[in-house]
This record gives sequence, structure tokens and C-alpha cells, in this order.
Amino acid sequence: MRVPARVFASREMLDAIAVDRSLEQLQNVATLPGIVDAAIAMPDIHQGYGFPVGGLAAFDLVEGIVSPGGVGYDINCGVRLLALPLEERELGARREQLVHEVSRRVPAGAGREGALQLTRRELDRVLLRGSRELADGHGIGTDEDVACTESQGFLPGADTDKVSDRAHERGSGQLGTMGSGNHFVELQRVEMLFDLGAAAAFGLRENQATVLIHSGSRGLGHQVCTDYVRRIDTALADYGIRLPDRQLACAPLSSPQGRDYLAAMAAAANFAFANRQVIAHSIRESIRAVLGDATADGTRQVYDVAHNVAKTERYGGRELCVHRKGATRAFPPGSRDIPAEYREAGQPVFIPGSMGTSSFVLAGRHGSLERSFGTVCHGAGRQLSRTGARKRVRGAELRRQLEAAGIVVRSPSNRGLAEEAPLAYKDIDRVVDVVERSGLAARVARLRPIGVIKG
Amino acid sequence: MGPVYRWLEHTSEAELLIEDETPGGVLTEALVALGELLGDGGGEPVTHEVNVGSEDMPGLLVEWLNELVYLAETDGFIPERVVRMHLADAQVRAAIGGRRCAPQSLVKGVTYHRLKMEETGEGWQARVVFDV
Repeated sequence: MRVPARVFASREMLDAIAVDRSLEQLQNVATLPGIVDAAIAMPDIHQGYGFPVGGLAAFDLVEGIVSPGGVGYDINCGVRLLALPLEERELGARREQLVHEVSRRVPAGAGREGALQLTRRELDRVLLRGSRELADGHGIGTDEDVACTESQGFLPGADTDKVSDRAHERGSGQLGTMGSGNHFVELQRVEMLFDLGAAAAFGLRENQATVLIHSGSRGLGHQVCTDYVRRIDTALADYGIRLPDRQLACAPLSSPQGRDYLAAMAAAANFAFANRQVIAHSIRESIRAVLGDATADGTRQVYDVAHNVAKTERYGGRELCVHRKGATRAFPPGSRDIPAEYREAGQPVFIPGSMGTSSFVLAGRHGSLERSFGTVCHGAGRQLSRTGARKRVRGAELRRQLEAAGIVVRSPSNRGLAEEAPLAYKDIDRVVDVVERSGLAARVARLRPIGVIKG
Repeated sequence: MGPVYRWLEHTSEAELLIEDETPGGVLTEALVALGELLGDGGGEPVTHEVNVGSEDMPGLLVEWLNELVYLAETDGFIPERVVRMHLADAQVRAAIGGRRCAPQSLVKGVTYHRLKMEETGEGWQARVVFDV
């Protein structure tokens, strides 16, 4: 190891974390060239491939590397929160209708018929400009939506020539689609506020109806990662890099492979921002159909965060390439990289729970810059394998339990439902507690699910 | 040793272990396992031609599965069997059969994590982790 490994966790959580290979994976990350300070893990850490999920690492721009596996196949998988201008009780019986309408308009699973079908040339403009292209060129999303997106919905440096034809093909038709696995759209109620000032800044009030979107770059991003892990794997010897895990395949940031990957990654990240923007548009149109124009037009985007990405950021007077693999940026009050209206409160952060459990809205704190390269966790974190979850829970029974709890459920697969059962995930309250006690971010609101459309 | 594949415990992803007498058998079992992961049958019968290669056998396993993942996403193809296969020097040409329908779940990527495909005293053994 070139640097230490640092884990944010309670003592009890650490005992559970030690059960799978996640700590070994974190130690492997600590061997990568040019890594700065420490290989870091959040309290939702669990075994992934290469990097652990819930891991992050920062690399010197001159001596350091970039690792496509350290970003993941779902480049810019992330979360977007919308706030409706009404309380949950005002939905009444229309709640089920709204969930049904959203499930009809946002393809889940293997769905490819997204709300926006583009030519290759139009798609390339999205890859270059992200959210901005949709707002300017297609009337999808508003200026406020773009402003309230991490990096304003766009990573610079994208190059469509570095995105393969196969990646273009896989992503074609997928803008506005959810994907599968743990992706979802969730209708929620703001159950509790912890920081009234921050909640007011974010436009959240108690009992308000909200919608949380979890999706990423779909097949386009998956193929970009596939292409560059392959390419960089074959070039390791050229740079004298030897790895404890082949999936950590990496290249110097200044190398042709490294530069090309970052250009393709930026394009895929822009695709993901755009994907969530189209999904949000479909949700607003669903709201329009069920609840009317005023409610749709009054539905405001709180923020959008990425949790699989590599970004150049400044710490301690120098620029570093920060890899976040299942980890979320959480900039503190005063940061110029967050919207002006949020600079007193801190950057909004969304930590989704599992189905049937709470999600949290947090605000970044200065401790994140001091201790974790401006980063917090991205979810509750799995504690049980998918096969293990299926052995303990039947999807059909889980569906009945959720519905009995008043949660409207739409899922294309009972098997997929079982794999995402609450018992497969850690206690999110404990995860968020660690984040808050570590000074990385602070609770603003707790959200309870009232409808779930699962990918 | 008869052909065997089984899913290993992995907290977040899908990890597959395969044992077979030949490398071609390993690729065939991997195809069947991926079909199981993608979802149930149904849909019209379809065949595809696959032609991939790599510098080594573990890399070939990844390329083979990557091609199947691509076909699943772009053609709704759920693989079921190998019709014919020619395998030599980490290059494979094959005709594969399956069905065209919407997969219930998708594989995001075929990783190199804990990857192996090697000859053992009893045949061949392979291991691969999928990002799901």
C-alpha cells in the first residue's frame, strides 16, 4: 500500500464490513500509483469489483492514474430530487394513478423506447453539452433545472470520437429510460425536517410530496467502461504498472489512454445527466396528466448528484483527479461550485434508502473537504447478496408487504424486487449517523416512500 | 467431470464459477448461465454469429460474454445454446441460439475482477464477476 486505507464507520458496522472482500478491495486501491492521502471508504462500503462500492480515491494529476473501473460501468449513475408544490395528503387517491402514469412513461428494465429519440448527430450534441443541450435544443428541462444539477449538468472535455460506435448504438433510444437493478423512481413524502433553514433553502417543507430518480448512463456508459478497461488492460505493461486486481486497470492521467478515457467518460456522464433530465420531464408530464398544469409547472428540481464519476477538483492548493465509486460529492457552505441559493446551507446530497425505508436529504459540511475529498456515501449499502436476498424473501410477498404499508409498487420482476428487499441493505439511519458525526454532511430532511417504480 | 456452473456469494454483483472438461465447454456454460441471469424464456427463436478474440483465455471469456451482453441489450437476445463453435488460440467463432424478448434484467458489464479461465488437473475452471 502506498497510502493508508480509511473507513468511516461505527465499530459495529466495521465488524459487518469485514465479512466480505470490501476491505481487501480498499487496500488494493491504496496501491495505485499517484494516490494521495488515503484510499477512503464511506459507511455504505461493500464488496464491488476492483474498487469497493462506497469507495473513493484522489490522484495527483502528474504522477497519478485514472481507472475506468474506479468509476464503474454505470458512469454518472446518480440521483435527482424533484419537489412538488403540494402535500402528500393532497394526492389522495390520485397517488396510484400518478405512479401508474410514471411507470407508463419511463421505461424500466431493458426498455429502450425512451421519451426522446435522437439522430446520431443530435445524440453527439447531448454527449458534448449534457443537460444544457436538452434545455436549449429540445425544450426538455428549464434553466433552473440545469443550474440545480451538479456541474450544471455537464462535464467539460467530452469528445464524441472517443465514444465507440457500439456505445452509441447501445445508448441509442435510451434517453429517458430507467434501466434495471437498483434503479428506481420513487414518490415520497417529506416526513421530518432536521434543519429548517437548509430545508427552506432547498424548497422542502414537511409533508411535501417529492420524487426521487435513480438512474445513470445506461448502455452507452456501460460500453464506454467496457471499451476502456479492455484498452487500458492491454497497455499496463507499457507504463510498468502491476496490479493486485486486473479490474483496477489504469493508465497515467497524461497518457493517451487516460486522456481518451476521460473524454469518453465526460461524454457518458453528460448522457447520464441528460437521461435523468428526460426522466424528470416525463415525470412532470405524468404530474400534468394526473394533477394538472399548475402542479406540473410548479414541480421544482432540488438538485442532481452523481455517484460514479472521476472529476478534477482542488484540495490543499493542488488539483487532483477524484474517483467516486458509489460515493457522492458533498461540498460545504460557501462553495462556489454550488448554486448561489444553496451556498449558505451547503450542497444538497441525496442518500436513497432501500424500498420501503427512508431516504435522506443532507447538506455538505466542511469536514468533507478536510477528511474525505468533499465526499459522502451514496446509499444504505448492501449487506446481503442478491442470491441471499432471494433465498430469504419472495418478491410477490414483499410486494404485498409494501402495498400493505401503503406503498404503491410497480416492478417488472418479482425476482428483481426480492433482490432489492430492505433486508439486503444496511440500516440507513446508522449510515447517515456516521456521516453526520464525522462532520461530512448534516441531515436536512427524511423522506418516506409512498410509491415505487422499480427498474 | 461433468459441466457445472454455479453462482457464488457476492454482496452487490453476480459472480459465476464454471467447471468443464474443455474451454469450449466453459464458454458454453457461461452462455447458459448468462441466459439464466438475463431472465426467463419466451419470444421467437433467434440465432446469432459471434466472432471474438483476446490475448489470453480469461480475456476471451470476457469478450465472449461482452458480446452476449451487447446482443441482449440491442436485440433483446437471451442466449440458450451453442449451435456450433470453433475455438483456437483464444479466438472463437460460433453460432448461438436463443430467443428474442425483453430481458428481465440487464448486465452492465463483464468485469476482470477475480477473473480466471485456466486448465486444471480435471479440465478447465473459470470465474467471472458481472456488474448487475
